[in-house]
Amino acid sequence: MQLLSRAMQYVVVAFMSALFLYPLYILFLISFSPIQYTLGSLRPLQWPEGFTLQNLVLALQGTNLIDPMLRSLLTASLVGAIALLLGIPAAYGLSRLTSTLANTISTLLFFVNMIPALVIAIPVSVSFIDLHLYNTVVGLALAQGLIALPFSIFLLLGAFQSLPKDLENQARVDGAGMLQTLYTLLVPLSKSAVAAAFLISWMLSWDEFTFATILSPITPTLPFVIYTNIYRGNILASSALSLVLTLPVIILTVMLQRYLRGEYLSGGLHG
Amino acid sequence: MRNLRLRWKESYSPILLVSPAIVYIFFFSIYPTLTAIFESFQTPLSSNTLSNYQGLIFFHLTNAIENTLIVSFGALAFQFFLAFIIAGLLAREFRGRRVFLTIVILPWGVATIVAAFVFSNIFPVSPPFGGYMNSFLALFGLPPVNWYSGYNSRVLVLILSDSWKNTPIVALILASGMTGISQEIYNAAALDGAGPIRRFLFVTLPNLRNFILIALVIRGISEFNIFAIPLVLVEYNPPFLTTLAYEFYSSTSSIYYSYAASTVLLAIVLVFTLVALKLRRTA
Repeated sequence: MQLLSRAMQYVVVAFMSALFLYPLYILFLISFSPIQYTLGSLRPLQWPEGFTLQNLVLALQGTNLIDPMLRSLLTASLVGAIALLLGIPAAYGLSRLTSTLANTISTLLFFVNMIPALVIAIPVSVSFIDLHLYNTVVGLALAQGLIALPFSIFLLLGAFQSLPKDLENQARVDGAGMLQTLYTLLVPLSKSAVAAAFLISWMLSWDEFTFATILSPITPTLPFVIYTNIYRGNILASSALSLVLTLPVIILTVMLQRYLRGEYLSGGLHG
Repeated sequence: MRNLRLRWKESYSPILLVSPAIVYIFFFSIYPTLTAIFESFQTPLSSNTLSNYQGLIFFHLTNAIENTLIVSFGALAFQFFLAFIIAGLLAREFRGRRVFLTIVILPWGVATIVAAFVFSNIFPVSPPFGGYMNSFLALFGLPPVNWYSGYNSRVLVLILSDSWKNTPIVALILASGMTGISQEIYNAAALDGAGPIRRFLFVTLPNLRNFILIALVIRGISEFNIFAIPLVLVEYNPPFLTTLAYEFYSSTSSIYYSYAASTVLLAIVLVFTLVALKLRRTA
């Protein structure tokens, strides 16, 4: 009985793993198999047959990859910077506030997270035109920062709260100001959480579609270029660009796995 | 005197530390949201009017609301179904658990537009009856399906495509709740003769209530915002609130219609969230 249920468990694990890996597998198949086995066929093959770099070469010759990629990189790094610049002091401030105030602010952050990107993006695009921020990296980063900030605050708050309180009090007694305590003591002690907050914010921007579509369609980032290529029927280019977009994200997700916890992802709601 | 100043600093400086974030949120989130709501009641010719909403009804607003709700709740149901199985597995100790966790988290990191692209090859618009799902069905001798021939199959394709990327977050939230339920309760229930289904219904579900509601809120909110997936897979047919707003925005026929469509979306999100949070508080 015990043995049977163990066997069952592995069957379910294997099935679920296959289900979750399948779409990624298809992306690799389309990217690296000769086209007659994939897009060129009514019944594309489920397994790899032959291996070619021809698709990628062909796809990337016809598309401007470099500009959107640089723009994506720059935007994502700016979003990471915004998330830390505003997030570190905010998280520390929250940890020092009375619980009523801290809860009010957490609720505010949660509600901000809740507002649909489209609701925000359309009026912002109108004012960005006046401010000369429409179709700029800075403008897009300022909007995407909204998605990253609450996440970054809750991740950092968790990290600061896990440090022993005595350490901080000792520094304060020794005459260090609040900012000094924060930046010379707490931040260095939580550097892996700070790095995680930066990288996850980076990733959220790298993947982001809605703000990018509304706020920077003429000088687009990678996700919007993928969309226009799908729209025009350039499947090979779309698959090559998708691969470029996905590879760093796979590495980051595996690296940052231990920070991707339910409590941070739930944007300040507690169980 | 010095003491008083110190105390002033103690109680106000945390607020100063939080304030840049609050100011930023005000300018980039709250102010634009209020603008969108306000503008949805304006037209170039008149103010304080419902004419944008009335106009939208002519452009299938009710239909878009229906589709948004159907796909959202369909996707939520499917995601929770998968997530319960995954969280149940993750709550146990077994060889390969960490690898399984990694595999299950991976889609979370993949961009929605990439998910949309991949699923547009699994369920392609053209050639009809082609694509990876049909070639998979053919392995078992099953007949091919034209995924876009009718409303129901279109909705099914959208739900499946959306769920791949979004099941992981539900599974992670449920799993973090399950680690809090002690094994002893399960053992006691098993001794009392409760089978796996009854244990799930009477032990797991009530103990997970708050985690379920959190996952429901988080996912529900983004589910109503479903945008890239329908845009790539079905374009504007059937319409969703997001694609309706975008259609009017990008065709520049009337940006006020976009404001109206997005205000409806915001209202739905708000009502859903308040109801779910209310359920949570009474728990």
